Amino acid sequence: MNSVETLPVERFQAGDFKSDLKPIWCPGCGDFGVVTALTRALAAIGRPPHEIAFVSGIGCSSRIPGYTTAYGFNTVHGRSLPIAQGIKLANPELLVLVASGDGDGFSIGGGHVPHVIRRNIDITYIVMDNQIYGLTKGQLSPTSPRGRKTATSNFGSLEDPVNPLLYVLGYGASFVAQGSPLDMAGLAKLIEEGIRFPGFAFINVQSPCVTYGEEDQQLKGQRTRLQNLGAMGHDPSDRAKAIELAREYGTKLYTGVLYRNPTPGPTYGDGVAQRHQTLQKQAVPRHDILKRFIPSPTA
Amino acid sequence: MSNDLIIGIAGAGGDGVVSAGESLITAAALEGYHGIMTKSFGSQIRGGEASCRLRLATQPVLNPNGPLDVAVALNWEDFRRFGGELPVESRTIVIYESNTGVSPDRLPLEGVKPSVVFSVPITQMAEKFAGTAKAKNIVVAGLLAGWFGIGRESMLTGIRKKFAKKGAEVVNGNVCAFQAGLDFAEAHPLKEDRKLGAPEAGRQAKLLTDGNDMCAAAAIFAGCNFFGGYPITPSTEIMQFLDREIWKYGGTVFQAEDEIAGLGAVVGASFAGKKAMTATSGPGMSLKTEMLGLASIAELPLVCVNVQRGGPSTGLPTKAEQSDLFQAAFSAHGDCLRPVLAPVSVADTFPITVEAFNIAEHYQTPVILLSDQEISQRKETVDPIDTSKFQIVERRRPAGAELANYARFKLTDSGISPISHPGMEGGNYLAAGIEHDEKGRPTASGEMHAKMNDKRFNKFNPLKNRRDLFVTIGDQDAPIGLVSWGSVAGVAMEALRLAKDQGMHVKLLIPKLLFPVAEPVFEDFFASVKCGLFVEQSHQAQLYRLVRMYVDVPRQVKPLAKSGSNPIQPGDVLECLRKLVVTMQCNPNHQPEAMVG
Repeated sequence: MNSVETLPVERFQAGDFKSDLKPIWCPGCGDFGVVTALTRALAAIGRPPHEIAFVSGIGCSSRIPGYTTAYGFNTVHGRSLPIAQGIKLANPELLVLVASGDGDGFSIGGGHVPHVIRRNIDITYIVMDNQIYGLTKGQLSPTSPRGRKTATSNFGSLEDPVNPLLYVLGYGASFVAQGSPLDMAGLAKLIEEGIRFPGFAFINVQSPCVTYGEEDQQLKGQRTRLQNLGAMGHDPSDRAKAIELAREYGTKLYTGVLYRNPTPGPTYGDGVAQRHQTLQKQAVPRHDILKRFIPSPTA
Repeated sequence: MSNDLIIGIAGAGGDGVVSAGESLITAAALEGYHGIMTKSFGSQIRGGEASCRLRLATQPVLNPNGPLDVAVALNWEDFRRFGGELPVESRTIVIYESNTGVSPDRLPLEGVKPSVVFSVPITQMAEKFAGTAKAKNIVVAGLLAGWFGIGRESMLTGIRKKFAKKGAEVVNGNVCAFQAGLDFAEAHPLKEDRKLGAPEAGRQAKLLTDGNDMCAAAAIFAGCNFFGGYPITPSTEIMQFLDREIWKYGGTVFQAEDEIAGLGAVVGASFAGKKAMTATSGPGMSLKTEMLGLASIAELPLVCVNVQRGGPSTGLPTKAEQSDLFQAAFSAHGDCLRPVLAPVSVADTFPITVEAFNIAEHYQTPVILLSDQEISQRKETVDPIDTSKFQIVERRRPAGAELANYARFKLTDSGISPISHPGMEGGNYLAAGIEHDEKGRPTASGEMHAKMNDKRFNKFNPLKNRRDLFVTIGDQDAPIGLVSWGSVAGVAMEALRLAKDQGMHVKLLIPKLLFPVAEPVFEDFFASVKCGLFVEQSHQAQLYRLVRMYVDVPRQVKPLAKSGSNPIQPGDVLECLRKLVVTMQCNPNHQPEAMVG
């Protein structure tokens, strides 16, 4: 891949990845920024839209595949990860992206997260975290802070929130980042890095809900709180430090790469490819498979 | 001479009861006999009681059921635990372990006094000749080979092979233990010779396997390249077989974290263009329901095998039942139609599984394959299958002009629209669980929803004329009709034979396509029918009720239905038929009560 002709320099513009479907999102929704950042990242990556599969679940954020020109799959609530894994295993050549919200990803679909991490399947998981259920009009989400009043917690939430960053770090994810549409260039770069990372990559995006979100979570409110990890001099290969920073989810707003495993292990796909190579010699023609059932004497 | 022998063997786990049965059915298959073997265990993972039933015959065996011709008890406590699964009659030849201390004229069997009883020092013989009580199963095989004339050569070869690694002494000991069994039988001949006669179709060896392995092999043959699933009794062997084989073809077996993710991965693999399958049982099916709906609306081909067991909930995990038919047909929110197929035997599992893939790919739909615990786990001899006779269907992919301004869900006359997959240039589209227009764009339009529902239903119309997915046996104009499906169909076939022998004018319909209900086929069948029975293994008689939703079934056609784990015997069917006929003759207008067990 070293010849100049095959280098995907400027092969695509961000616009090549934007579909003509009009988003259903409220004006000012943070998710618009995610589409912009994502399409920029995809242009930088340079794979054509038809080689990309973009999977989502249910929720405001999960509408995002339709707003791109990739092959999209807007599936059912909480199940984007298993479907995306099936796609990647069925065709490892594809670039597989998954989008989700905090409810889709960490409540109804939370049970799938540890497993995609431990398998290290090479997909990029972008969660648009707005601490609220927006599509159903303002109910408690797994990342809503304790005490938060919503349509289903009229007297305040009695639960501690899930900490998405700590959760994925705890299960051993090798690439963990957080971004915000407020820093568009930074978010685009994070998504690009996540896609390029050889293995499962997780990007939590603080994408505010303009309709049901709290004041301090809006982009305007984020401005005073946002701290860039790069600028802070954080070493992303330091997992212990990453965990320490992740604990501050909900109080501090860090953006950038929290953790990038400097020596990432093999992906699931690596193992599959190796197994295929080893075993293919043993295949009998498919039409001879019934020969397996010719009995041999036994006692 | 015998032409049909039913042998039941029971003992403690570790007695080698099942390996004795397996070695005998293997021998029978090699010698060209027909046979079915079922196993039954206590609920313990190891140890506990174990039994097997072998039905060996010179002509095709239709089901494993029936009272025992031969009963072998390695101890009576364990034998008795199997109750109705190992029914002993007075004509049954009983062979039992002498060290049980039971006197031959005081067998612990209630209400029955078998006339031919052998008390055999099985453990003592095993210890004496093979030097270990572990060889009990070898002695039992020797006894059965001696009295019933099966498997002598094959057993000897098997012993040599199995114990080769353990050295000449062990081989010789086991050969002697087997010979001791043979000698005992020779020294105590039966008054009436019960040796199996020669197989009717000659001595050509048969294949031997169970329904789960057959299903998995058929999937490989049909081109399946992806399996996603979660272990569950009694379907897990499908996943295990595929894990041994599918990688060799560049395919993948994915053990998911749960049943939902298992089918989710299959949906993903199908979206990515691969033939994909999952397998599960009742509880797993319940969890997979939402994902099946997604595959229906996104029009993605896949095969979902449900190896039925007793339900609801955990129910009877190790026993067969036919109680998931309603679930297969209807468990979906929204208007939704999924084809449901059911094989009737291990052999039939091959063509029906291939058909499931073909229908899935052709109609771009999930297909439910309803097997059951009995078919899935019974060992059956299978006549060689000529695979060159089968057609393999691939999904219709867009090409050329179809890819210009491609519309994934194009409203076509057939309802089938060419399907692209990621990687195919120009085929980009949005698949979704949300209602969509022809191009896949989300819509809330009632008009578009109605059109898409029409498309998704009408595309299946040709299925209702698939008469090749139905078997009708007997005279077309018979006034008595039997309908049966799945593993119970074999019982109905045998009942049909008996009824005809008794001069009844009766016919049998076996649907392998259960849903959509093929109205024309049922209407034709019932045209001549005055009375009859739906024979099936569920409390509700689910096929009977399902068919009545769509077809005017004659009023005097009633269900003969029993809950799972209560074998329906051909004699039960016959008795019900007889009652029905008498009632009809006495008073043609009388409505008999439903015969539900």
